[in-house]
Amino acid sequence: MRSWYRNLDYPTILLWMALVGIGLVAIYSTTHGPAAEFLPVSVRSNFYRQAAWIGICLTGMVLALFLPVRFYQKAAYFIYAASVLSLVAALVFGREINGAKSWLFIGPVSLQVSELAKVGTVLGIAQLAAGRRGTTSDLRFAATMIAMVMLPGILVVLQNDAGTALVFVGLIPVLLFWSGVPYPILLLLLAPAFAGYLSIVYLPAAIGFAIVFGLFLWWLTGDRRMGFLGVGLTAATVGVVATALFRVLQPHQVARILSFTDPSAKEFRHGVGFHLVQSLAAIGSGGLFGKGFMQGTQTQGRYIPEQSTDFIFSVIGEEFGFLGAGLVIVLFALLLVRLVHLGGEMKHPFGLMVAAGAVGIYLIHIIVNIGMATAVLPVIGIPLPFLSYGGSALLAHTALLAIVLSLNMHRDDLSIYGFYR
Amino acid sequence: MIGDSGSDNSSARGRVFSVAIVVIFAVLMGRLVQLQLIDTSEYTGESRTNAMRETRVLAARGTIMDRNGVVLVDNEPAYSVLLTPRYFDRDNLTRLAELIALEQEDLQQRIDGAAKWSQYLPSPILHRVPFDRLARLLEQLDTLPGVSYEATQKRRYPSRVRAAHILGYVREIADRDLAKLRDDGYRAGDMMGQRGIERVRETALRGNMGSTFRLRNVHGQDVSSFRDGADDVASVGGRALRLTIDANLQALAESLFVGKRGAAVALDPASGEILALVSMPDFDLGEFTRQIGSERWAALNTGANKPLFNRATQSMLMPGSTWKPMIAMIALQAGVISPTEQFYCPGYHPVGGGRIFRCMHVHGNVNVSMAVQESCNTFFFEMMRRIDVNTFARYTREFGFGTRIETDLTEEETGQIPDSTYLNRTEPGWRVGTVMSLGVGQGPLGVTPLQLARYTAAIGSRGMLYTPHLVQQIADPVTGVLESPERPDGVRVSIDPGNVDLVRVAMRRVMELGTGRWLGVPGIDSGGKTGTAQNNRGEDDSVFIMFAPFDQPRIALAVVVENAGFGGTAAGPIASLMAEQYLTGMVTREYLVRQMLALESDPLPVAE
Repeated sequence: MRSWYRNLDYPTILLWMALVGIGLVAIYSTTHGPAAEFLPVSVRSNFYRQAAWIGICLTGMVLALFLPVRFYQKAAYFIYAASVLSLVAALVFGREINGAKSWLFIGPVSLQVSELAKVGTVLGIAQLAAGRRGTTSDLRFAATMIAMVMLPGILVVLQNDAGTALVFVGLIPVLLFWSGVPYPILLLLLAPAFAGYLSIVYLPAAIGFAIVFGLFLWWLTGDRRMGFLGVGLTAATVGVVATALFRVLQPHQVARILSFTDPSAKEFRHGVGFHLVQSLAAIGSGGLFGKGFMQGTQTQGRYIPEQSTDFIFSVIGEEFGFLGAGLVIVLFALLLVRLVHLGGEMKHPFGLMVAAGAVGIYLIHIIVNIGMATAVLPVIGIPLPFLSYGGSALLAHTALLAIVLSLNMHRDDLSIYGFYR
Repeated sequence: MIGDSGSDNSSARGRVFSVAIVVIFAVLMGRLVQLQLIDTSEYTGESRTNAMRETRVLAARGTIMDRNGVVLVDNEPAYSVLLTPRYFDRDNLTRLAELIALEQEDLQQRIDGAAKWSQYLPSPILHRVPFDRLARLLEQLDTLPGVSYEATQKRRYPSRVRAAHILGYVREIADRDLAKLRDDGYRAGDMMGQRGIERVRETALRGNMGSTFRLRNVHGQDVSSFRDGADDVASVGGRALRLTIDANLQALAESLFVGKRGAAVALDPASGEILALVSMPDFDLGEFTRQIGSERWAALNTGANKPLFNRATQSMLMPGSTWKPMIAMIALQAGVISPTEQFYCPGYHPVGGGRIFRCMHVHGNVNVSMAVQESCNTFFFEMMRRIDVNTFARYTREFGFGTRIETDLTEEETGQIPDSTYLNRTEPGWRVGTVMSLGVGQGPLGVTPLQLARYTAAIGSRGMLYTPHLVQQIADPVTGVLESPERPDGVRVSIDPGNVDLVRVAMRRVMELGTGRWLGVPGIDSGGKTGTAQNNRGEDDSVFIMFAPFDQPRIALAVVVENAGFGGTAAGPIASLMAEQYLTGMVTREYLVRQMLALESDPLPVAE
């Protein structure tokens, strides 16, 4: 009899352990450094809490590996529904932490249900894709999928957690990609987002991009209408963003969005820009080798805000330098490419979509988080998967990984036609 | 629209997606390269200025002693009460206010002000707390979270000498000095010598402030040492100074000057050491260790008496008859008169018809020696009629008049010696009558008491001119051993010794037979000259110069008492008592002391 774990993908587990380990080391530095005595007691115990969460995650992962694929498929919609309900519950009964009403308290444990909802959403979408019949129209499928993503997304917006909501929105093009949407349509979805970003950084570049993109799309499809559509959509986004920045949004909101373009400017330096200035100073001063474990002046002096959560990357960049921060990026790249491979290996829409959803969620988090810490993107407070302090996020991200691993390990049990066929 | 997610299609998509992932991570990596490898030095600087705090380690300021080792200036601890608003419990407000003797509202205001500056850093809320009060606070410090104290130092003046103009004072560095001295390690709030020796010898007295570099957090709180103290600098204490001043002499002179305006300078003729230097009115240096109100400040600076003004080195006065030995020496040296040649004094000089150049008496035929002894104006008018004004200027400048003395004193005037260029500019068409009054120390002439004393010392030392100075020895920074700084050698003036001797003898006769015959120190031969100088303030200034003992002078004096009349009545007795004090170590003539204490300068004319 072949071992049950014959299909277990060890590289993924090793990558997970490496990332979680680096995160734990960085959190230790922020909580047990030479300046630890100045920290509130609650912050000082963050390290132990995170270590405990890692233990919980490990247990959960082993558990997840033993569960059969049938369980995941059968439970997918139920878990999705439970996620949505928990988001509603958090809105009704939840407590507000850092302005976001996305927390549920179960005994001594506090859970950020918006994090966990990501898992439910990915499972729900995967089940939708798996249950798709040849007779289902493409449009109807796409619309159902988008609705299923937007429902928890909107609830998260209502909880006043725009960062997490952005992850749900960002998930849509990724899932559409894996559902086989033609590239021109995908480009039509992605280009406006990029144009919106450019219009924040440099408006003329955004306008130029809109024109070039239209021409490119025309060339790609040979269809002039696609070209006009491309110009139209991107230009409209540029217009909306510009109007929002100059007309609609409050000055403090505009400052929050714009500050990353020049964080040390006088008008930003004492507001949101302060975070970015300090984060850049931390990462930049790390140099090639870093200042050493618990030797980072920015970290130990607590100049980096939210340094164990949203800005953990700055801590790594300062104390371990380019070697440390670069290693994190390489590990992430390896993990994501590996997960894409695992997804493809399963040859089943459910497994593929779970893997795709996981990769999409990680990718959005990584881009937004590291982009924020290095000031190429506006400040949006979402954690860096596996590294940032925070039990709910760690649990959610590990659960996704564990499910992909489990499905992949049991991939022979997945019907080539899907479970229900 | 949505294609079949068959295996071929999905594996192609997988490759596309993997490429996209690699591209995205390459962009992030590129940003890291830019931040950490290319621009790293810029951010390193930024993080250093952020997180590093330099704490100055105080260097004890050097002690200042008199020539006999009497301590004139040293330091005493000063205490400041510090409060960290974030950690202070407002319930303790009443108790703290009571302990440090502040009104509650006042304390509250100070705390609010400190909180505005920083919630997390200790701010001084009360400076110059006396030790007994601090001790009471210390007993309760355990139960007063957020309250601490800091020991600093302030200057202390333990002797009975005031010597305000000599010593100068220490205050927080002025902005204009800070702009210049930032590179020398000065920071805002640092103490710096502002006048006198404290300023001139600032570098030696200050020593080197040390620094410790500490890591501070975002709230400014001290966290740990930076790089384990690798960049720290130890402080080096200031160097002790031994001055040339004689504390007893200085104290006597100061007490004799009570109620008067004027100056006295005593020099050692053999070295130029300043034995005493008094300028009255003066001020209390202790006052400068406390806060000074703007009103008081204005009074010190611009009040009618101008206490901060150093009359010994800054007042430009006409020397009056004390100038006559100078003219006698020039006349002899220039050959316009021989030692035996006589000139007839009818009580006036005939130039100008006898009404302009008047003498006090009809002296009859006088030679140069008699003229000095009897202070005959006519004779010296005649001498100046014969001496070319440029010759006059050359010799007087050789004695240090009309030039700044490069000495240890900051505030110093050049003085005014006229020559033909000067007269052509100020009095076009000037004639011999213009310069004749220079012969009796009047006219377009300005000398400082210090210059006058130096010239007296040069006569006393038979023509050797030394640079007056205040610092005798400086302690070596390492061993603490006192060492003499380099001094320029004395120079011999170009008056023949025989001519100087003739004038010296004439000056002894002044003390024995002439206008100074009451002013000698009992039992000690001396030379001197009285002077009565006209001025624009009212009553004449009383001026007196003197050196003693006659053969080997150990002290040379110039004393000026403003608006006190004849030189023999005010300046003379003070100089005589000072010489006695210095030469014998005591003052025997009680009556003269009492007489001097009673004497006052005429009040200054009140401005209409």
